Amino acid sequence: MAMSEWILEVRDLEKEFSGTRVLKGINLGFRRGEVHGLLGENGAGKSTLIKILTGVYAASGGEILLNGEIVRIHNPLAAHRLGLGAVYQDAELIGDFTVAENVLLGNEPGSGFVNRSGIFAEAKAIFDEVGIDIDVRRKAKTLSAAEMQLVTLGTLFHRKYKVIILDEPTARLSGPEVELLFELIQRFLAQGITIIYISHRLEEVKRICDRVTILRGGIVSATLDRDEISEERVTELMVDRSRSDLETYNTGHATDRVVLELQDISTDKLEPLSLKLHAGEVIGITGPVGGGMEQVELALGGIVQARGAIVIDGRQVQIANPPMSRKAGISIIPEDRRRQALFPNLTMAENICLPVLSSLSRLGLVRGRLTNNYAEQVMQQLNVNPRHPNKAVKFFSGGNQQKAVIGKWLKAEARVYIFVEPTAGVDVGAIKEIYDIILRLAEDGAAVMVISSSTKEILSLSDRVIVIRNGAVVHEARKADCDYDQILAISMGGRGSTLAA
Amino acid sequence: MSQPSAGISSGGTRVSPKDKDRGPNPLVGFLRTWGTILVIVATAVGFGFASPYFFTVANFNNVLFSMIVSCLVSVGLTFVVIGGSFDLSVGLTVTTSSIMTAFLIPVLGPWLAIVGALIIAAVVGLVNGLLVTYGRLSGIVVTLGMMFVLGGINIVMTNGYQIPVDYALTSFLYIGQGKVGMIAFPVIILLVVVFIMHIVATRTKPGHYITAVGDNPMAAYYSGVKVYNWVILAFMLAALMSGVAGVILTAVSSSAQPVGGEGYLLEAFAAVFLGATVLGKGKPHVFGTLLGVFFIYMVNSGMSMVGFPFAARQLFSGLILILAVGANAMLNREEIHLKFI
Repeated sequence: MAMSEWILEVRDLEKEFSGTRVLKGINLGFRRGEVHGLLGENGAGKSTLIKILTGVYAASGGEILLNGEIVRIHNPLAAHRLGLGAVYQDAELIGDFTVAENVLLGNEPGSGFVNRSGIFAEAKAIFDEVGIDIDVRRKAKTLSAAEMQLVTLGTLFHRKYKVIILDEPTARLSGPEVELLFELIQRFLAQGITIIYISHRLEEVKRICDRVTILRGGIVSATLDRDEISEERVTELMVDRSRSDLETYNTGHATDRVVLELQDISTDKLEPLSLKLHAGEVIGITGPVGGGMEQVELALGGIVQARGAIVIDGRQVQIANPPMSRKAGISIIPEDRRRQALFPNLTMAENICLPVLSSLSRLGLVRGRLTNNYAEQVMQQLNVNPRHPNKAVKFFSGGNQQKAVIGKWLKAEARVYIFVEPTAGVDVGAIKEIYDIILRLAEDGAAVMVISSSTKEILSLSDRVIVIRNGAVVHEARKADCDYDQILAISMGGRGSTLAA
Repeated sequence: MSQPSAGISSGGTRVSPKDKDRGPNPLVGFLRTWGTILVIVATAVGFGFASPYFFTVANFNNVLFSMIVSCLVSVGLTFVVIGGSFDLSVGLTVTTSSIMTAFLIPVLGPWLAIVGALIIAAVVGLVNGLLVTYGRLSGIVVTLGMMFVLGGINIVMTNGYQIPVDYALTSFLYIGQGKVGMIAFPVIILLVVVFIMHIVATRTKPGHYITAVGDNPMAAYYSGVKVYNWVILAFMLAALMSGVAGVILTAVSSSAQPVGGEGYLLEAFAAVFLGATVLGKGKPHVFGTLLGVFFIYMVNSGMSMVGFPFAARQLFSGLILILAVGANAMLNREEIHLKFI
């Protein structure tokens, strides 16, 4: 076999999650020392692909070749040993260690004893060389999110990687920090390292990638060279026309009654935002991940303190913490279901009944028969399968878990429902059902907000669309006036930037 | 999409409502670092006023001597807690090691008996560690089970009677009863071992990695740290410390008792969590644990000198523990508190 052109190659890579094929035979090669962009909508298979490459998931079929040889990657440690490294979106550091100790973790100088001054000196040398201006003696837990991201990138210099995967590395970075990131990437390249770069921001991809591969619905849509990258081309290749035909479409149930009004809501990462949300209306908020759209949810959920006024049904409300948000009539269905909305080891019935337990109790005792009946009723209404209210939630699929979260809040009679990435990690079959549930809520008179990075989802569900990028609203329009390519282009930062100015 | 919860746990730049009204207060910072030590000193001064015998070399020696076993157990437990787990079997490991020493002396002679007892202790730690890591079991459950198992073994080995050590073995008994000048020999062993463990925890790679694993195992895993190995090592160190304590206990009392190890466990937990507040670290550390044990035994000795009845002593010890740890918690209010272990 001739020395492979590819440092890393995947052949016919397939991945199936409980019957749903997420990757349908990916064939892709990465050249030695290139920056290879990876683009695609949510659900196109990007994250699944990189998780297989870094050993988080096992592939269902196909093979991975490193330097022309087939390799097996069982777990992250194996990936590490093979020289495949990744920086995930939520970078992990040891909070109680200093920056320097984190940078050299696992590669400390010397043997046996920890030479702290040596660690500081070495980390300082790395930071000086690559131009990261962070005191290496600071504790990692005192760093801002952006600083953590930079430190995580710094750690890569000490591990002998051949391929580095950067997943949305600029999501939490500001302008100058992005420039620094690009310099870091140049240094990686100078060391002969190959970079796989995942981003939603087309301008960045155009600037630093030698080639870009677009994934669509679990297959490679195309691989383009740098000079072939254009907004129109990429958008066209990203859109899955075959799927968009049979989709849900919100025909509009909005009334004139204002339920939620935001007056100049702002946070550290969000410029003042005002909007009115009517009963029966679905408003879609989209934009790049980390671009500020999630701040709306954090502010309304009471997780981040926002300035400005929140008015619900004509009354101004204070939201300082999550219980106050609930009390004000806001239900948030978060993206990270397992960690933020469900109790994986409790049964489906226990999860669904949690918010309404007092109405299912007699004399202060929870009645098993009532909870079971209630849970079954909700499960039927939302088509949660299999219909076993006494099975632990962790044994249900992603889509059914998502329906369970919605079921939790169904009878809690919230005024405002906020869905964050409602179909992330949900199997394809369940997506339409979840859309139908969301639209039914609106039809019944609730005010609904959908925050999602999937343009298609936003266009299927909303009456109005807001695009937030770099912490500011860059586009707002009725859905009737939007089309897919335009919204995608704006959120990726093409025309939107002129619009924002 | 970046998850909001990541923001919560990492703290970062986020401003929680309680932070707003708490500016940079140097007093709070001072108390956070020195508060526990101030409490210890103030308590000592109080006893000093109440009893003229409290501030004497003899009493100091006495406190040190009485805390030997407890201190070794606590220092061992410190490693497990730093590594992010719990070990409820450390108390009974002392008894087992003590019994094994006394049991093996007639067979192997004193020195090999000590080695044997320490090996058995280390095996207990190894089993705990393996079950918690590769066995995927909860540290609390595994070590609770181990505690019962050891309790059973102890009774079976001894038939419920104490095992005496031959009085002729003076060199072995010197370990527990010897004196170097004014200082008891086991106290010297204690201080040497604690010093070594302090160095292990703060200056060596094993200590470094155990700390990393306990703080954020996921980050350690992605950094290529062999997480399981270090957790197992932490359990082995804890068991080994209990083993050393058991050997000393046998030498001190010239015999091994079938029961009695349970008490050390609770003292050790009190000491470790009291010690975590020393110097405002907020996490267990060996030096803090040493002070924690010293404080508990100092208060005990002071109270018996002043003539507190036994019931009042228990009550007072408990209150002081809650006060010292509680005062520190009052001073540390930056993060959302959602851990209730």
